This record gives sequence, structure tokens and C-alpha cells, in this order.
Amino acid sequence: MKLNDLEQAMVEGAHGKAAQWAIEYQRSVGTFFDAEDFVPVRVIHVSTDRETMGDSGVEFIEGLSQLPPAERRPRSFATADFRGFDADAFKFLLPGRDLIAESAQAVAALGKLGVVTSHAYVNDHSVTAPGFGEACGYSGTPSVIYMNGIVGARCNFEAGPSSLAAFFTGRVPRYGFHLDDKRIGTHGFKLEFTPETIADWGIVGALIGRKLNSYWSVPILEVAGPKPTILDLNHMALSMASYGSTAMFHVIGMTPEAPDWKTACGGRSIDTEVVSRDAVDDFYAEWGGVGEKLDIVALSTPQLDIPEMVQIAEIFEGRQVHGNTTLLVYTPLELKEACARIGVVETIENAGGRVVHGHDFFATFAKEIREAHGWERLMTHSVKMVNICEGYGYKPTPASIPRCIESAIAGKVLP
Amino acid sequence: MSEAIIKGHVGIGPAVEGIALSASDNFSTRYDLDRDRGVVSRPSHKLYGENYVGRILVLNAAKGGVASAWMLREMVQKEKAPLGLLLNDANPVMAQGAAFAQMPFMDRFETDITQFIKTGDQIIVEPALGLVRILSVD
Repeated sequence: MKLNDLEQAMVEGAHGKAAQWAIEYQRSVGTFFDAEDFVPVRVIHVSTDRETMGDSGVEFIEGLSQLPPAERRPRSFATADFRGFDADAFKFLLPGRDLIAESAQAVAALGKLGVVTSHAYVNDHSVTAPGFGEACGYSGTPSVIYMNGIVGARCNFEAGPSSLAAFFTGRVPRYGFHLDDKRIGTHGFKLEFTPETIADWGIVGALIGRKLNSYWSVPILEVAGPKPTILDLNHMALSMASYGSTAMFHVIGMTPEAPDWKTACGGRSIDTEVVSRDAVDDFYAEWGGVGEKLDIVALSTPQLDIPEMVQIAEIFEGRQVHGNTTLLVYTPLELKEACARIGVVETIENAGGRVVHGHDFFATFAKEIREAHGWERLMTHSVKMVNICEGYGYKPTPASIPRCIESAIAGKVLP
Repeated sequence: MSEAIIKGHVGIGPAVEGIALSASDNFSTRYDLDRDRGVVSRPSHKLYGENYVGRILVLNAAKGGVASAWMLREMVQKEKAPLGLLLNDANPVMAQGAAFAQMPFMDRFETDITQFIKTGDQIIVEPALGLVRILSVD
């Protein structure tokens, strides 16, 4: 990789030990992907959930924080999130563990480094976003595809250590979705129906992700009927990323680099496949569970917004969650407080649900939680969560939020 | 019995020799592994139930998101990691994770690596040279 004078000085240690580690680490990844040089970034998002980091990740960050200030000066603005801070919820979910205590060292170390810690997952909504065409260094999977596809900012998956390195260097290797030609659509899809729910949109993303099966493929989607909401697209996008590692997509007439097919394809001819209602229905059937006892309903991934919280409260109409079922509803702390002010939290909790803040179900020891409670059958509206929780030993059933809540009330998976 | 060589892109990490664990399926540390026990835990995965610790994993594509980058290093430090990882098609996360963990890692081979290398093959991975040597070809 070509290095400018500043980057060469970082390699030589003139800008401190943290920057020296970071630039050498980034250069090894950039070389792997044939990056010609670095691109400066202003905004970084560091993924730091406790389960993913492990003890070694905490020790690594602590080690950086213990360097003298002159050895660890940042060159960009960074937020970190997703560590699990709902003490009451964790007392119930994992009685034997104090995750707040386990996370305290990492939070303190991040603060000492100058990383702003927030407890909201998917921070594409909670921090000032990069602009169209701006390079950034995000490490939340959904945030990356959101920035590329919906905002038109430029980003690769910069996972925890990689985004931390960008914090110290103020740059990332220029490859992948920083390059014009990598952002051009490679595969076309046409929806021949209108998805009706968030889960439907998630399944559309899963079907496309499974089909493409490569980080480097860029789907172009043409939708039928009314335009999807940003939340619909967000679920579709994070599901693409989950099932196929997709990090960039276009929707004709909606996303900023796809005003029409010709532009989205870069003038090239590409094949187009149809995504049918039947394929979506087949996906639902694949996971089954109808009629089975329902252990857990987890509504998260991403955490819910206020309209979704209101929707859940309205569905209950004074009814109660069945005694055999646990209902967990995840939202950021700030939104939980806002929902409490309009009575939504009280309604959900009076119905027997738990409103959890500060983390997300799948990312915070979901396997250990299943083992602690003996849970098996899980329902969720998040098709990404279905994918992950299968590997953690759950039997997941994807469904709309109304179907999830009605099933929680019935204590079994309703059709 | 003879030796075969497959060329790929120059990789990451030190050279390593070991026994392959191979399947035509994709890979994520979060989605597919029980990292405490060192086994593939996803029922629909073609290596379901297999112990991967100390083997060189040979799989198709990296899937899912960012979790694998922290996790590979944690797996190495807790001695619950594969010896190395070969993929037909990497994503940035897997490369970032391998670099952070100093785990031997390669991708972009001249042929479908999952078809060429079978479970049980004795192989040598040389990331710096972009080569994989298969020592036990019939």
C-alpha cells in the first residue's frame, strides 16, 4: 500500500504506540484486499459487545488505555455501544452473571481513550450520520449496510479491532465499497408482490443474501406497489448481511445511487430474478413450530423504535402474556424513557412483558440464557435473529409482531 | 500418493501444517460455532457436531457480520480455535479477525478449495506465498 508522510510517520512510531499498532494492523488487512492506499474517515463506530469481545478484547482495550496520553491520541470521533446495561433484565436472564461488572473495565477503558459510549445498538439513528459519499468506519453490521445502501456513505465492515484502529489513525484502507466500481449492482431482483410486514421484508433480504452468498455481490431490487419504509429496508438489509454477508444494496428509485436500472448497473447488462410471495411463504414454513409450546418471544435485532413499541402495547388490549412464555421487548434506554412517558412501558409490563434496554437479545450470551432457562422454541419478527439463534440451539419461528404477541398471549406458536 | 499445490491470494498469518476439516458450506464464528466446546453447533451446517479445534477449516464463504473479528482472537487465546482458515471467498471481517488473532488465513484460490481439499487431508498453508500444499493426494 502507498503510504503518505503522515502514515509513514505512524508506522515509524512518531505518533504513538497506539497509532503504530493501528496503522500496521490496517496495512495488513488492506494489503490482503489489494488496497492501493488509505482514505481518511471522520466518524467511527466500534462494536464492543461483551460476548463478542471476550476477555481478550477487554484486555486489549485496557492495554491501549494504559498507554501515556501521548502514545494513544485519536484522529477521529468514535462511539461504542452494545454492552448490556439493563441490570434488572440480566438478573432475570442470566442470574449467575453480573454483566455490568464484567463490562465495567471495558467501558472505563473506552472512556479513557475518548470513545463515547452509548447503550443504543444500530447507531445509524443515534449519532450524526456521515453524508453521501463520505468515507466512514462503522463496525455494526446493520450500520454498515445502512450507510452504504441508504445513506450513500462509503464503508466496509470495519469490525471491532479494525474500527478501533481507525480511531487512532483517522483512516481506513481504500478497497471494497470505498471504490466506485465495487458499489455498482451485480445482481438484479424484482419483487412480484408487496411485503406486508417487517418479517416479510426480512425474509426478502434473507432470500437475496442466501442467493448471493458473497460480501462482494451488490443486489439491486425493484419493488412492486408502495415504497417500503426505511425500517422495512433496514430489516431487509441486515437480513441480507446476516444470510449472505452483503454490505451494499440498491433499491431502484429509493436509494441514492439507484435512480434507475442503468445507473445502478453502471450501464452493464445483468440478469434479474423474481422474488415471489411463494418463496417467502416457503421460508416461513421452513422454520415451522405452529402449535408448539412457545418458550420465548424476543423482539429485537435491531432494537425497536417508538411506533413499534406503541404497536405492541395496542395489541394487548388488556390481555396477558401466557404463563409458559417470556416476552422480551428491546429498545434503547432513551426510547424506553420516552415510551414510559406515554404509558407504553407500563402497558407492556402490566401485560407480563419485559422491556429491556441497553443490549440486544442475540448478542448477549443468548446460548447461555437458553441453557439457564431451558428454552427451546423462540419467536421473533427479526429474520436475522432467526438465523443466529438457530446456531445457539433455539428452534426459531419468524413472524410479524402481531403474530408474535398473539402467540405470546396464547402460550403457543399460532399460525 | 503425491503432493499437490493450490495457489491463492497472498494471505495473513504464519505458515501452518495440519489436518483439514472441509465442507462446501459457509462460515461465521457467531452463527455456526459453540466456541466453548469447540464444535460446529448449527444443525443445518454440513460440519454440524464436528470438533474444529486444532484442524484447518476449509469452507466456502464468510457470512454474517462483524462478530468474528474479536472472536477469532478470543478463540485462539482460550485454545478453542482452528489451526487455520481457508475460504473461497473472504469478507473484511474474517481478514480483520485473522490479522488480529495472527491466524493463518487465505482466500481467492485458483479452484474451489472445498472440492479440492477433503476432510482428513494433511495440508501445509503458506499465507505469505499464497500457497497450500496437500501432502496426501491419491
